[in-house]
Amino acid sequence: MGDAADFALEPPYSQKFKASRAKELINGVLVARLTGQQYHADNTSSWAREIADEIKNKLKEENWARYKFVVQVFIAEQRGEGVRLACRGFWDPNTDNYAHDSFSNESLFCVATAFGVYLY
Amino acid sequence: MEATDPSIEEAAFVADDVSNIIKESIDAVLQNQQYNEAKVSQWTSSCLEHSIKRLTALNKPFKYVVTCIIMQKNGAGLHTAASCWWDSTTDGSRTVRWENKSMYCICTVFGLAI
Repeated sequence: MGDAADFALEPPYSQKFKASRAKELINGVLVARLTGQQYHADNTSSWAREIADEIKNKLKEENWARYKFVVQVFIAEQRGEGVRLACRGFWDPNTDNYAHDSFSNESLFCVATAFGVYLY
Repeated sequence: MEATDPSIEEAAFVADDVSNIIKESIDAVLQNQQYNEAKVSQWTSSCLEHSIKRLTALNKPFKYVVTCIIMQKNGAGLHTAASCWWDSTTDGSRTVRWENKSMYCICTVFGLAI
C-alpha cells in the first residue's frame, strides 16, 4: 500500500477488484484442496483456515493495489441439513466487491467468499 | 500510541460493542423460532439488515461486511475460518455463535477503516 499521504478516490480499471477473476481463484483452490476429501471433524477446521489463507495469498498476487481483503470459508458436513448463508456490505459499490464459490461432494460442502474493500 | 487522543479512540473498532449488536440482532430475529426452510432467507436478511443499521448508527469511519449463516441442527459439523489482509491497528472482526434446539446461527462482522 502506498504512502499514508497519498490517496485515490477510485482505482484504475486495471487494478480494480474483479469478481469473476476472484471467483476463478477461489474455485481453483477449492477444487485442488477438497476433491476426493472426506469430512472429518478433527481436520476440517484446519482445512478451513488453510483454504482461507491460500485464497487470500492468491488475491494478494493479483495486482489490486490498495485493496483490503477479507476471506471467509465455511466447511460443513453433508448430512442433508438445511443451510442458508447470506452476506451484506456497507461499502462503496464503485470500488468494493465480493466473489464467492462453492464446492460439494458426498461427504462435505464448502462455501468460500472473498471481499475486496478499497482503501482510498 | 496516543491512546489519549479522543479521535483515535473514536475511530477504533470496539469489538465488545459490536458483539452486543450482533447478539441483540440475532435474538430479535430468531428467538423462539424453529428451523423453517421457507423462513431462513428472510431471517438472514433481517438479521443482517438489523446489524448493519445498528453498526452504521455508531457513526464511525468504517465500511462493514457482515455475514450470517443459519444451519439446521441434525448432527452435522460446521467449520468456519477467516483470513484477512488489512490494517490490524484499525480494522477488526467479531464473530458470534448462537444456537437453539433446532439451528445454529453464526454471524461475523468485519469492520474496515476508511
